[in-house]
Order: sequence, then C-alpha cells, then structure tokens
Amino acid sequence: MKNLRKIINGRAAVIGIPYLWLLALFFFPFLIVLKISFAEPIIAIPPYTSLLEWGDSFWPTIKASLDSYLFLLDDSLYINAYLSSLKIATISTLIALVIGYAIAYSIAKAPTRWRGILLMLVILPFWTSFLIRVYAWIGILKTEGLLNLLLISLGVIDKPLTIMNTDLAVYIGIVYSYLPFMILPLYANLEKMDFSLLEAAADLGCRPFKAFWTVTIPLSLPGILAGCFLVFIPAVGEFVIPDLLGGTQTLMIGKVLWMEFFSNRDWPVASAVAIILLAILVVPIMYYQKSQEKAIS
Amino acid sequence: MTEISTLEPWKDSAQRPYIEIKNVTKKFGDFSAIDNLSLNIYKNEFFSLLGPSGCGKTTLLRILAGFEKPTEGSILLDGEDISQVPPHLRPINMMFQSYALFPHMSVEKNIAFGLKQDKLPANEIKDRVDEMLELVQLTELAKRKPNQLSGGQSQRVALARSLAKRPKLLLLDEPLGALDKRLREQTQFELMNIQEKLGVTFVIVTHDQEEAMTVSSRIGLMDAGHLTQVATPTEIYEAPVNRDVADFIGDVNFLEGTFKGNDNIGTQLDSDDAKCIVYATQATDVDIGRKLWFAIRPEKLEISKKKPDFENNVLKGRIEDISYVGCMSTYHVKLDNGKVLKACRANRERSAEHHLTWEDEVYLHWLPHSAIVLQS
Repeated sequence: MKNLRKIINGRAAVIGIPYLWLLALFFFPFLIVLKISFAEPIIAIPPYTSLLEWGDSFWPTIKASLDSYLFLLDDSLYINAYLSSLKIATISTLIALVIGYAIAYSIAKAPTRWRGILLMLVILPFWTSFLIRVYAWIGILKTEGLLNLLLISLGVIDKPLTIMNTDLAVYIGIVYSYLPFMILPLYANLEKMDFSLLEAAADLGCRPFKAFWTVTIPLSLPGILAGCFLVFIPAVGEFVIPDLLGGTQTLMIGKVLWMEFFSNRDWPVASAVAIILLAILVVPIMYYQKSQEKAIS
Repeated sequence: MTEISTLEPWKDSAQRPYIEIKNVTKKFGDFSAIDNLSLNIYKNEFFSLLGPSGCGKTTLLRILAGFEKPTEGSILLDGEDISQVPPHLRPINMMFQSYALFPHMSVEKNIAFGLKQDKLPANEIKDRVDEMLELVQLTELAKRKPNQLSGGQSQRVALARSLAKRPKLLLLDEPLGALDKRLREQTQFELMNIQEKLGVTFVIVTHDQEEAMTVSSRIGLMDAGHLTQVATPTEIYEAPVNRDVADFIGDVNFLEGTFKGNDNIGTQLDSDDAKCIVYATQATDVDIGRKLWFAIRPEKLEISKKKPDFENNVLKGRIEDISYVGCMSTYHVKLDNGKVLKACRANRERSAEHHLTWEDEVYLHWLPHSAIVLQS
C-alpha cells in the first residue's frame, strides 16, 4: 500500500494523465494507421488484409507489404500533390507573416487601453465555426459574389473576376483562417519588446527603417518562427479550404488523402499518404519545438 | 585671470555657450512639462539637471536628444539650431536609464553599432571599440551578451556605446540609478575621470542630490518645468535662492521672523521661533517689518551643554531625538516654543565623554555668517 502510494503520487498523476491521453488518442491510432499502410486492399470489411496470419504453427506469420508506399512513388500525382501542398503552405505562411506582423506590431504599439479590444477582434472569428467562415468566403468570392458586385458597382472592373475555384481562393482562405495563429505569438513577442531600443538605435545614428531590420526583426525572431510553424504545419495538410474554395486543378495532399479513403476505398494507400505527410511535417514540428524551448530558456 | 574664466565660463560674458536652450516650452496636451525654459551650458561642462520626479528634467533631456520636439523655442548646439534635426542626425548621444543594450548583440557589437551607422572602415571600428572597452575596463567581456553581464557591467557597456561616436554632447539619464550605493559612489568618480579625459560635454539627469553635488560643474535645479536655480554645487548649498532649494539640497533649519533692520553685525531678525533677535552677517535690503527666514545647516549649529561665550544667536532647548550614523550624530533639539532644530556633530572621539543624551538641556549657537537670509 505504501509502495503504491509512492508510485502514484500527485506529481506523477499530473504528468501522467496527459501522457495517457496522448498515448490512447494519438499514439495508438497512429500505430493503427501505420499498420494499415503495410496491408493490402481487399474488398471486405475492413477493406484491408490483416498484418498477422495464423497458420498451422504456433507463431503467426507477418504479412507486411510495401506496395502502398511503392505505389505512391510510382504515380506522379502523389509527389506533385505533396510538392503543391508545400508550395501553397509556404506562400500562404509568408503572406500571413507580412499581414500578421503589421497587425501584431500595430496592436503592440497601440495605447494600452486599446490593446485588449484589438486582440479581441483578432480572436473574435473563432466564435463562429471554421466551416461556416469558409462557406462565407464562397459568398464573397463567387462570380456573382459580394466582392465582384462591389468592384463592378465601383466601376473598377466590367466583367466579374474568376476567383472562386482557383488557387487564389485557396490562398485567401488559408491566410484568412490561420492569420490569428500568426498574430498571437507575434503579438506576445512584440508586446514584451523594449521600444527604447529603437530610440537607442536612432540615437546612435540609425534610420527608423534600418532600425526595424537590425533591431525589431531579429528580436522578434522567436515570435516569427512560432507564428510561421503554427500556420505552415496545419496548412500543409489542409483539406476543407482547398475542397470548398479550390478548383479541380488545385492539388493538395489533404484532398488526395480524402479521395483515397472515401472514393477509392484504398485504405492502405490512404494510410501511406498520411504516414508520409507526417514524416514530412516531423522536421518543421521538431524545429518548432526547439525554437519554443529556446524561447523559454 | 583668463584661467579662472575658462574654469567658470558662465561667469565670463565673452564666453560663447556650447548649448543654448532658448525659451523652450513642451506641452503634452494641456500640461506643460517644460515652461519657457532658457539655459546655457558651456563646453566641457558636467551639468546636472536635478529635481524631483515629474519636474520635467527627463523631458528636457529627451528634447536635447531629439526624441521630443519643443512646442516652442529653440535649441542651439555650437551655434547651430538643431531643434528640427531628427535624433539619428544629431551629434549627440544618450545613455539610457534602462541602458537599452541590444540583447541580441555582443558587448563589442553593441559598442560598434553607432560606428557602423556612420559606415566607418572595419579596422577603424575595431580600433575604436577596443579603445572604448579599455576605457571602461571590459576588454575581457567583449564577446558576452548583455544578459550575461552584471548591472555595473551593463552600465559600463552603455557608457562605452554612447561615447564610441565621440559625440559633441553626451546625455545621461539617471545613469547610476540602478546600481547599489557603493558601486554608485565608485562609478561617479569614474564618470568624472572619463569626462575629463575625453573632454566631452556631459548633461546628466538625476534625482539624487548627492550624486549631482559630487559630479557636477554646475547644477540646474528644476521644479514643475522651471529652473529654480542654476549654480555650482557650493553655491546651491551655501547660497540657495529660496526655502525650497535649501530644503531640497541637504538638511536645513528655518527660523521664521520679521525684519528689524541692519546693524553693525548684519541682518536683525525678530524670530518667533527663537523668541529673541537673531543675527546674520549678510545685510538685507527689504522693508522693515517684512517676513524673512534664516536658513541654518545642521552642521553649522554648535551644540553644547555649557552655555557658549557668545552674546547673540544662543538658543536653549532639550534633546528630543538622536540619530547616530557612525561618523556623526544628529540631535533634534526642541526649543521652549516647541520648534525643533537639527544640529549635527562629527563623532571625532570613540569615547563618549562629552556624551549628550535624551532630555539633556543644551545650548545651540551659530556664527552670524553661517545663517542664510531668505526672502521666500
């Protein structure tokens, strides 16, 4: 009894419960997906072969196949989808960085009594479902949508622009949806910045614009990295935005994954797609962790 | 004669001031932080702006640096109007109260920052940085980052950085405020030595009167956006212009009374506090019957158990409190009418033979030339 007490003390419980949660709801599902990726598709329920086969011997034989992974290499569709996802995520992240930095900087520089309200405005969209907000963009961007109506009534354009169902709509959707994830870490960083450093730079003969590049940007690097990772990582695997706003030519790995699972019912290939996506994202996720640890120390 | 005039250029009308602050007013909304202030500062001066917080001293410093534009008036540096010149183009550097060291740069990069803005050749920058590091004795710490420095070391880096460009004028905003007392005293002398060595004009803002007294050639005492007195430390202490100044710098006793006229000793004051006529050497030129004050510094009040052999300026009282600080003791002596005067005495002997203690009846005496006559 006493020994048990020693093992299950408060500290272990506090740390242990989240770990158990992660183990049960992330690690085990991951193992299941990993297992399926090594199976072969069959028409059955579930639609894949089992990994272990119980023959006459006491020990089961392992029947693992790398076919799904080889198939991904074979068909250029998958490689192109990965590359296209990375490209769209990178460009979206950079656009979000430029816009997010400007917003975070102006909030950090705003009078204290305004900051709370401005931050609130950044977080406010989260009160509505993500899906509804993406649908709202359809209403704005479509041919007879609000944006085209506005531009035509202002006389800027004669014919409506085709934005809906293009890559541009995907960029708009991703930048819009993930902008708060860029602004919040940047603001947290810039808000702590000692603006007397900029005065010191000016005092030493540095022009305001140069002071921004040599003092503000380097000092906000942890915020920039955190914001970029928080936007980039989910944007790579994004499915809803390209599906709803993008066109047929918009190639993103999230869409491919969905098709493999639900249209083709090829679970092993879909699982392999997911595993490779994870492998690609592990690198930036680890960099993100490292930069966070650095920021804390 | 010429030597004296260069030591005290403010007394020589032929000397041209180096910095001329002309009728400067700075308003924030309706509030005037600086109110029609004029001041001349001369080359190689170590000038202190001293005053309580909120008196406008930091605002004046920031106007000199260029971070604030004067609402009215102008600033001349070496004969040139710099009121509208932005901070990065002024030949003036500032040492910030928070030091404002760039946390992402090493000590040497911090010091080199200003020189790089001037696009000096690399070898020249290196020589100048080495020279500055030597000046503040931080050569071994050149590669450290600011977060690896102690408070005193950060202060030196900030000083080295602000001096690296050899500014015409160096502004120091509470430069020693963050240091502990012992380090502060030591650093005061270092600042004075460096100032003398480089021949840069220093303007320092401080609320610490001892610091101002120690380092300054002259002190500008500020209150509510005005200069109340501009004078050398000795003049400010020994000849304050009013009771506020006398009270702000050091400890002081006031005797209030009415002016009885001048006689062969000097000013005669009929004091309610002393209940007799008291004297000061300094003659006064006001109407008889006007209210006046004598200011007497505690160290100039003699305290003794025996009645001193003087006819005038002898008051009797009882010791109410004693504050012993080692080198000296301050006695709080209550006069018959309840007025408390402070008298201090250096403890020159270890033994307490002449020991004065609580409730002792004592006599206080001052020489007529020790009293300062104040009209306000």
